[in-house]
Amino acid sequence: MNERQLAERIKTGILGAEITEQDVRADIEKAKGHPFAAYAVDLSYLSLARSLLRGTGMLLTAAVSYPLGGMTLETKLAQIRFAVRTEAEEINATLHLSAIKSGDYRSVEQEAQAMLATAAGRLDVIVIPQFEILTHSEKLLTCETLLRAGVHAIKTDGHGGLCHPEDIQLVRRAFKDAFSIEASGGIRSTAQALDLLEAGADFIHTSTAYAVLADAAP
Amino acid sequence: MKRMPHPTPQAFDLLVRVEHTELRPSATYADIRRVCLEAMHYGFGAVVVHPVHCARAARWLRPSSVRVVAVVGFPSGAFCLDGKATEAHDAIDRGAAEIDYVVNIGALRGGDHSLLAREMDALRAATRGCTVKAILEASMLTDADTRCASKMAYEAGIDFVGTATGFTPSGSVAEDVRLLREAVGGHVAVKASGDIRTVAQARELLDAGAARLGTTMGVRIATELAGDEEDLL
Repeated sequence: MNERQLAERIKTGILGAEITEQDVRADIEKAKGHPFAAYAVDLSYLSLARSLLRGTGMLLTAAVSYPLGGMTLETKLAQIRFAVRTEAEEINATLHLSAIKSGDYRSVEQEAQAMLATAAGRLDVIVIPQFEILTHSEKLLTCETLLRAGVHAIKTDGHGGLCHPEDIQLVRRAFKDAFSIEASGGIRSTAQALDLLEAGADFIHTSTAYAVLADAAP
Repeated sequence: MKRMPHPTPQAFDLLVRVEHTELRPSATYADIRRVCLEAMHYGFGAVVVHPVHCARAARWLRPSSVRVVAVVGFPSGAFCLDGKATEAHDAIDRGAAEIDYVVNIGALRGGDHSLLAREMDALRAATRGCTVKAILEASMLTDADTRCASKMAYEAGIDFVGTATGFTPSGSVAEDVRLLREAVGGHVAVKASGDIRTVAQARELLDAGAARLGTTMGVRIATELAGDEEDLL
């Protein structure tokens, strides 16, 4: 896989409390020179990023209840409606992680269904189950619940966490091609990214895209 | 839970300032119940939870005077203004008595003070009758930015300014408390948050001018305090 092919499988972005408007402008300007698949921002910069990303080929990703998932369903849906209005192409929405940890998969299913209904096909719903804090069986039960709800795309982790190829293989083995899987969490090198793609990830999500491209074949 | 001796007025005054915090994404419903029971048992003033747990916490705390504090725009503060105001309103509907909202730190750093002022006005308007705290992230800000945001909080009628979310590494919490305290000149109260785990640390922050202490280590502090008082008998 050469540098260009790897870049096409990378979703990048700039997220966090400290980020200023100038940071967003500079980072998108730099990203424009690469064929990245998508670019993610926090909601406060969504409108700005929308205008800057037009014509670049990168999809705009809106971070919903990011990264802790502790907002109410109503708040998450309001954020999704805002993302639709701002013409984002996809969302990364953190699930109700407390519900998963409490075995309350009904709430997870209702949440996933409501998010899909609100998106109404106008943007892609990619959810974050935060694999880092889930047990083996919680990972599988969550994926099963998501499929029941009709969600077919996951991003393994939000902020923090370290993505393991075993997690990608776990989901691939259990659910074949039912999910588009975005590997995310502590991916900072070409070797790591290639391992995760090899394990079956469809995309690599990283804020350090240039470090990930550094050792790719030209 | 260890049976607590009746606290002295000094101990009571410290414990009632503790805001018992459970914001881990992995917290289960049982964890929320536990922190509520602990808060009632040890005499903490409040529990701090995500909005998704407000109704649950309010149910457990109903027979007591312990307040539910909801975090809004948490932890990055990088959400749109209308969204934060709606989230705060929604949390109050679900039983929150107080709102800890994270200010738009990126806008403050980038010099967009008008956005910050509009956000404070919107949050104040959405939380009429409830206490609202503007949480800064002092470790990410210059002293000048921290002072500026504190002054704006006073002008907007915000009840408290907070030192940190506790989700990013912070420096000396006591220094941050003194800085905020000096900036608001006694007109706005100060909440200290971060790695507060001993009675000595808690007392240092109260001496520095904090009126509330946000910590996950309330039980440890209460137990230490009870031990201290038993030693005095």
